Amino acid sequence: MIALHGTWKPSETIDDQGDFFIWGESSTASTIKRRGRPPKLSASKPRPHPFQVAHEDLKMVIELLEIINGNIISTKTQKDDVLLSLPTLSRSPQASPDLLRDNGNESLDKPVGLIPWKIEGLSIPPEDAISLLSSLSGAWIEHDNTVIGTDLRFWSNVSKFSLELLSKQHFVPGIVVSENGEVFPRWQYMLNDEDDRMHFSMLAKSMPPVCRAVLQNKVPNVQKAFLSDFLNSAINDCIQNWMSISEIRSKKPGISEVWLQSLTTGEPIQVHKSILKNLSKGLQSWEAPIHEIEKSGFRTSFRLEPPIEDESDFWNLRYFLQASDDPSLLVPAENVWRESKDTLHFLNRKFDHPQEKLLADLGKASRLYPQIEDSLHSPRPTAARLTTQQAYTFLKEAVPLFTESGFGVLIPPWWKKGGSDSKLGVTLNVKPKQDPKNSKGLFGFNSIIQYDWKLALGGEPVSEEEFENLVNLKEPLVRIRGEWVEVKKEDIAAAIKFFKSGKSGEMKLDEALRLSTGLGESEIGLPVGGFNASGVLSELFERLSGRTGIDELTQPGDFVGELRPYQIRGFSWLTFLRQYGLGACLADDMGLGKTIQLLALLIRDKEEGVKKPTLLICPTSVVGNWYREAEKFAPSLRVMIHHGTARVRTNKFYSEAVKFDMVISTYALAHRDEDLFKKVDWSGVVLDEAQNIKNQFTKQSQAVRKIESDYRVALTGTPVENRLSELWSIMEFLNPGYLGSAEGFRRGFALPIERYNDKDAGMKLRSIVSPFILRRLKTDPTIITDLPDKIETKVYCNLTKEQATLYKAVVKDVLMRIESSEGIERKGIVLSALTRLKQVCNHPAQFLGDSSALPGRSGKLNRIAEMMEEVIAEDDAALVFTQFSVMGNMLKTHLQHVFGQEVLFLHGGVSQKQRDQMVMRFSEKGGPRIFILSLKAGGVGLNLTRASHVFHFDRWWNPAVENQATDRAFRIGQTKNVQVHKFVCEGTLEERIDEMIEDKKALAENIIGAGEGWLTEMSTEQLKDLFALRQATVIDE
Amino acid sequence: MAWRNDFWGGYAPSKPIEVEGGIKAKSKRGSIGDTWWSKRWVSVLESFGWSNRLDRGRRYARKGQVLDFELSTGKVEATVQGSVRKPYFVTIEIKPIAEGAWDHVIEEMSQKAIFAAKLLAGEMPDDIEDAFEAADVSLFPEKSKDIKTHCSCPDSANPCKHIAALYYILAEDFDRDPFMIFELRGRTKDDITAALRKQRTVDDESPPEPEALPAGEDAEEEEAALSMDDFWEAGESESFSVNISPPDVSAAVIKRLGTPQFWDSKENFVEKMGGYYEEISRRAIETAYGDQTGAKKRKK
Repeated sequence: MIALHGTWKPSETIDDQGDFFIWGESSTASTIKRRGRPPKLSASKPRPHPFQVAHEDLKMVIELLEIINGNIISTKTQKDDVLLSLPTLSRSPQASPDLLRDNGNESLDKPVGLIPWKIEGLSIPPEDAISLLSSLSGAWIEHDNTVIGTDLRFWSNVSKFSLELLSKQHFVPGIVVSENGEVFPRWQYMLNDEDDRMHFSMLAKSMPPVCRAVLQNKVPNVQKAFLSDFLNSAINDCIQNWMSISEIRSKKPGISEVWLQSLTTGEPIQVHKSILKNLSKGLQSWEAPIHEIEKSGFRTSFRLEPPIEDESDFWNLRYFLQASDDPSLLVPAENVWRESKDTLHFLNRKFDHPQEKLLADLGKASRLYPQIEDSLHSPRPTAARLTTQQAYTFLKEAVPLFTESGFGVLIPPWWKKGGSDSKLGVTLNVKPKQDPKNSKGLFGFNSIIQYDWKLALGGEPVSEEEFENLVNLKEPLVRIRGEWVEVKKEDIAAAIKFFKSGKSGEMKLDEALRLSTGLGESEIGLPVGGFNASGVLSELFERLSGRTGIDELTQPGDFVGELRPYQIRGFSWLTFLRQYGLGACLADDMGLGKTIQLLALLIRDKEEGVKKPTLLICPTSVVGNWYREAEKFAPSLRVMIHHGTARVRTNKFYSEAVKFDMVISTYALAHRDEDLFKKVDWSGVVLDEAQNIKNQFTKQSQAVRKIESDYRVALTGTPVENRLSELWSIMEFLNPGYLGSAEGFRRGFALPIERYNDKDAGMKLRSIVSPFILRRLKTDPTIITDLPDKIETKVYCNLTKEQATLYKAVVKDVLMRIESSEGIERKGIVLSALTRLKQVCNHPAQFLGDSSALPGRSGKLNRIAEMMEEVIAEDDAALVFTQFSVMGNMLKTHLQHVFGQEVLFLHGGVSQKQRDQMVMRFSEKGGPRIFILSLKAGGVGLNLTRASHVFHFDRWWNPAVENQATDRAFRIGQTKNVQVHKFVCEGTLEERIDEMIEDKKALAENIIGAGEGWLTEMSTEQLKDLFALRQATVIDE
Repeated sequence: MAWRNDFWGGYAPSKPIEVEGGIKAKSKRGSIGDTWWSKRWVSVLESFGWSNRLDRGRRYARKGQVLDFELSTGKVEATVQGSVRKPYFVTIEIKPIAEGAWDHVIEEMSQKAIFAAKLLAGEMPDDIEDAFEAADVSLFPEKSKDIKTHCSCPDSANPCKHIAALYYILAEDFDRDPFMIFELRGRTKDDITAALRKQRTVDDESPPEPEALPAGEDAEEEEAALSMDDFWEAGESESFSVNISPPDVSAAVIKRLGTPQFWDSKENFVEKMGGYYEEISRRAIETAYGDQTGAKKRKK
């Protein structure tokens, strides 16, 4: 595992630009060869960092990360090394928290001090660093065994900020003078508005100390100065690279030409000294107004106040002084004129030369907006009086100019909304094409509906006559029912055209849906401001938009058990969308019962007379689970498993499938048996663990989209709204075309949200997809009351082919030996058989004890990794119990590798001190999320209430022992509901014994209280039955 | 025209020593001075019948013969490079406006905030001369006798080209800072703003004493030593978000700051720079949302 780090290396001389330095920290000691014994630690002779990643490996890692500029690494990087002061333990630098070192227990040690280490890495020029770092997004934080360190993440945010400043043109040309008098042009950023200042101070505050650990002259010891240094270098390098070179044409170039050219080349300005002096003086006074605001700490602000209704027709533009770091602190001009001293004190703030400042700004502002000048003919102006037309011009033209000029502007909130609420727009009215008395089941995504447009102002419909009256006012802003609304000239023209033609027609339901969520464009040329549906459609749209709730259905009669209230709601929601043929994504947290909500839907369909089967596609690891859950909760459903080598592959499949209500198959087969599936007339297609189609290009993703059906459902436990390419792919399956093209979606939503945390895009996307996604969290207060404190579920896992073969071999061997033995010997054989078979069920490598590869060989291991992904996605923590410390180690290795996070393992060999440390670290917020405990070593008295998931990877056939373990997570202080997942390998002795315990629950305590001894008392026939592998669900892939 | 000047001066043609780094007039042809008030300054001088002398000074000003100058209340001192090695010393003194009249002017100006507002924003108010007229004085000198000059050159004519050059250099400086004209007439910027403030301020009966500010509020940010405890930890940054898009107003800062004083190119500064600003903004957005596979164009 590698943690990538980065640090800014400021330039040491003025003619250099500085570099961004990237290095890697490995979990295993460096392979760079060293001879002899390592010298003693000393600050004066730094040693190479023992865990650093060599150049070549580092290049490879970065190339993997790079998604934009494949050529940065190959062409622009240079080998480099730096000295970094790192917290150091007795012998080596402390590992960064992002990394898991392979040599276990050093976390117990406390660092002794900050000691310099020599670190090799790569240097990248600032512009390339900006491209590389700004392309990192949340999605890249864990990637193929590589983690991005907090420092690099910090610089990534800084890079994004640099791009923001560049895109907003918040930079000015300046100069710096070197010691020998050479003058270099330098572009410098400027913090121009509230957002800039907020971003800057947020970054300065969040800078981790490691960022400033580089040992070098010129590293400022102040966060802000260091941040500033990077921003200036980055911005300067970007601009010099991006500006087209200014050619000098004239023979005797003037200072302007020389200056311009050097701004693009970065070369020193070569002119006579006295001209240079003139230039630098000129630049200084030219830029002075920018620095004024920074220095003074306050600025002039303008507040536009609408006329008070029925009292006045005039707007007021009032003048204030405003603290630049606290926009809410406003000193009215009235107060300013009252202060005779050089300094004004207001709410513990100091304003220097307030009158002159305000006057100078009013003088400048009057150039941008002449109405201000009129107000200046009084001795102590406090506001400008504006007509509605003038106020409109102010809003429309002056506001952006004022903002960019460094003035504060406070405008009424209705103007800012920018949406259609305060504008002339149209509302869309839709009604079903068919007779509204028809049953609602007739609608689908592609149904044709009728529509017409109505003109609206501020969301309220207006008649032609009303509209004409308003237009006759000839005002760009009109007050309608107390609200101000903008009436643009071009909109009036569009509206007149609209009244002439009168738009109505027919469209498809999905088009109407897109328009109703603000995704589509109206044909009128006016924004869509409202949406009305009548007839059956009104119910649909009201409910989709969440304005009215969905009718709660009663639990279907054939459902065995009782749905909890939120499950009833989920089931009703699924039924509602299913009736309209709209795709639904049920994304409840793991353990909330997505499976049974879907089963309830299927039972209801059957009760309503649906005869066609539904196809359920799921990962191989849960095929058995689905079968069993259906058996248990929905025995009325006829369920067919289409899986394994013995599956029906011929045309018989069609005639076979229609006899069932549900056909369970897998993602792999969705592609392989695509042709079989495509020919069946399905009622529905359901994807379980729908994150499996997150990559839209995979064959399985494409295959499932091609299977036609009346409705589609996706089930997933991962927070799909945060993984945008996954979201697109799932929505494309559910409601094809609804989110537009993948590329359009990427540019419009995925990049802005994932990389730049764009809030507007995020809100918009949420409103578009929310009708089709239902996600409830365990922690949701409305859910938590519905849930019991502890939910126990069995997780049925398959055996892999390898496991099955091993299992059968062990059984054969054991049965042979049992027959020829008795007494203590027989007992011993039975007990060892139990252990060996459990080992096989856990993992072949555990049974073989050969430290062979882990991935893909055990059904249980596959399943736990899948479930852990959801635990981590939910930001939750989990305990995993196993009886075998060998298995515990394998789990630790595997889970650490898969998730790139530290996994704790407490076993018999762990000292009391380390044990306490582990428990403490697990309890901390932000500590490791997965804690493996060997059941025997667990001991009593551990309080591990941070976990809300408990996994029993293998079974201790003794409910009391298991319960005691579970109770570690479920204790006083536990505020969350706890979910207990007991793993059982299907068709094996694990399942058989589990059934026996369940059957004899009442007796269980007595019979099996003493451990596993009772099993040895069974007859050979009974044992044969117990051990035999029922081979229905072996993984054959 | 050259022969006429020579004839007028009575000297053999002499070339001034070329200067590098002198104060060069920005304007390359035509009149000097961009604003109405500097133009007015020049026309007042011309109205004294000095046109021919002034012409030669203008050429001097354009060549950068004025090495430096210093303005103090009522007086300007300068060095100007002529045709001999040693630069000449030039002084210009203007008759100050009487204190009483000044007070009257201030009184007049305090009636309209626009006077102070425009001046502080670097602009001479259009109707400034009305304020002076009300006090029966004139902002600009009314007759040649109001100006006393001296130059160390042997030319007996007044103004000589050295003095004239300084007149023009002053004109361009007035463009930048109109307060300089006031200073030449006896009151500095600080005098005027303070006097205006006094007039303007509404006397509150007894202004409340300001609360004492906590000490050290203005102190520079303290140096932050590297801390071992949270060495790798970043502060709150979850909510950090940026908006990478073009600004509402393109090249606003350039428009706001205007053309710098030293700009001597024929091209329009605001347009030229504005073009660069837009290009850079576009490139930043391209970098942020750029095509993943597209090869990057670089100029180097």
